[in-house]
Amino acid sequence: MNPSIIGQMAVSGALMGLVYALIAYGFQLTYATSKSINFGQGELVMISAFFSLTLTNLGLPYWAMVPGGLLFGAVMGLVVERAGVRLALEQKSEGWILLTIIIGLFFFSTAENIWGRDDRPFPTPISADPIHIFGVDVTRLELAVAVGVLGIMGLIELFKRRTLLGKAFEAVSADRDAAELMGISATRTVMLSYGLSGAVAALAGILVSPITTVGPTMASAIILKAFSVAVVAGLDSGFGVVLIGMFLGALESLSSFYLGSGWREAPGLILLILALAVRPTGVFGKAVIRKV
Amino acid sequence: MFRPSVYGSLLFAALGLHAGDTVKIALTGPFSGGSAPMGTSARDGSKLAIAEINAAGGIQVGGKKMKIEIIERDDEAKNERGALIAQELAAMGDLTGVIGTVNTGVCMAGDKHLQEKGITKIICPAAGSKSMTQWSEAGVKDCSIFRFAAYDGIQAAMVVEEATNRKFTKVAVIYDSTNYGISGRNDMLDQIKKQGNKLTVVAEEKFNIGDKDMTAQLLRAKSAGAQAILIWAIGPELAAISNGEAKIGMKAPLIGGWTLSMSNYIDNAGKNGNGTLMPQTFIEDPITPKAKAFINGYHLTFKVGRIPSAVAAAQGYDAVYLLAAAVKQAGSTDTRKVKLALEDLKEPVQGVIATWNHPYTKWDPADVTTHEAFRREQVVMGMVKDGRVVFGNEADRARLIKSATSATPAKVKAKTKAK
Repeated sequence: MNPSIIGQMAVSGALMGLVYALIAYGFQLTYATSKSINFGQGELVMISAFFSLTLTNLGLPYWAMVPGGLLFGAVMGLVVERAGVRLALEQKSEGWILLTIIIGLFFFSTAENIWGRDDRPFPTPISADPIHIFGVDVTRLELAVAVGVLGIMGLIELFKRRTLLGKAFEAVSADRDAAELMGISATRTVMLSYGLSGAVAALAGILVSPITTVGPTMASAIILKAFSVAVVAGLDSGFGVVLIGMFLGALESLSSFYLGSGWREAPGLILLILALAVRPTGVFGKAVIRKV
Repeated sequence: MFRPSVYGSLLFAALGLHAGDTVKIALTGPFSGGSAPMGTSARDGSKLAIAEINAAGGIQVGGKKMKIEIIERDDEAKNERGALIAQELAAMGDLTGVIGTVNTGVCMAGDKHLQEKGITKIICPAAGSKSMTQWSEAGVKDCSIFRFAAYDGIQAAMVVEEATNRKFTKVAVIYDSTNYGISGRNDMLDQIKKQGNKLTVVAEEKFNIGDKDMTAQLLRAKSAGAQAILIWAIGPELAAISNGEAKIGMKAPLIGGWTLSMSNYIDNAGKNGNGTLMPQTFIEDPITPKAKAFINGYHLTFKVGRIPSAVAAAQGYDAVYLLAAAVKQAGSTDTRKVKLALEDLKEPVQGVIATWNHPYTKWDPADVTTHEAFRREQVVMGMVKDGRVVFGNEADRARLIKSATSATPAKVKAKTKAK
């Protein structure tokens, strides 16, 4: 067993794991305020990536394309909230599960019709040449993923803790009814969380596309892993998803190296089952005392 | 799914072109998805030839000139869709021939329906050996399936030769888990043995369609000391391999099946694709007046600056001319008579790849090359360079010019050369 290979596999896996973490974080944002998640989040990642690609092809520089893409993601997040979640929540039904899946399928067909079914390269000014750090090769692209993921999560966490709007967000997460009594509009806060979640999904798409290419099915594999990360980490710990995301990513690449590429997903799934059996609220989740 | 052009041809039919007035040729292949560059190029190459023939009044069939009518079907590279389409085509009754299919798995799933009804099909450009050897394995006495592509047997031999010529001794064999990938791996391993085991396979790795992260496979190849990667797969995953190599600082060049010339490999791999080698039957380089006219015609008609898969396009083009020559010689649109004519083409057919002189002979289950048009002489090594495929060895340019301008030697029946 060569330590530099273990290091290489673990590091490149962990960096990809950060993308799972970012998407899982998008689940957490909406779950915190509304106890609902967007099952079409993968399609949101994909359609935002396509939109950003179109912006790039229109000649927009990278720094202008990224905010454009994020804005598009946020708007799409709001669309999901308005069309799929709000009515269901008002009626206290679980209809959002089906509705968000359907909206996701709608995004999928839209993307197929506008952009076609082929995988395309996503140009980026960030070089894909490897740099050598502590005996491990990483590309600037992968580092950009790490910086982008940790950066946006840090910003959102700061926003939640330091601004009035952010505190409202936290208040609704803590107790929706009490927050409403304090004059905070829960509906607006849920909208905000879906907008943020959409922007986060768009960033995930923009960061991962240069590595994996853009295509209608680009997120279908990633999204399942993001679900696993969210469930294993628990749906209310931002720090937890980063840790579990990196762990799962590293575990995947190590197992594909040592057990063969066919077994890539197996340890992650075992981990998921174990987590559900032993700690259903997630490793970093808070135990919920449900008043009956 | 019906495409607009199918509606167009249906409309055409409704406007009074009765059966019997046209030569019906079906073009099939994946026009969407990862194999689409090959499928659309083959289709569009064929359409270019059909447009030329129709513009000249059509094919002389018996006493009258008949135009070609196109029936177009997208198999989406899915085996089950391919089988459905083959059943539909087999049931048509007045079909003269089928040209197409990119994916070996689709051939395996669908061609039996055409073979049962004796419908003449020219496989173009699926290269997997299995799609022809299945008929000899089944001991079929009378085969209506032909191939117009450099089959994997030839390609694998060239790939192994190239690696040996470039003085590599340790190679990794990497392939995808489809019928195409596995049969390509077997061909390459066979060839390594046949060519005297000059190459040592230090790693054998596979991956699935849709995989993006090849780090594990490549690291294993790298740590085993592979100097080159012999590979059999389809465009997008091939690109993931090249990009993965760049990531871990690996320099082993890719040598593999002709799919390495697909636009979705070249574009997605970018500069990491430079130096990749693959067998080609046609290089998008106007080396002859005919090639120049074909390339310009394709660019203008389909509004592209580069043919997505030049090999598939050129093969699709020549396949139509072969089928048209067979229809003319048979003096009939009956698919069985066309098959007999195709097995015994009296006059050389001028194509863009070569002048085809008696490319097929009567089917012999013991020798699939009776229904294979290509031989080693018509295939060269191509190399990716800055987003295009160029000649891998400059000497090949002269060879291709020669083969394109002078007639290929007539096929001798019952050749002893094993596949």
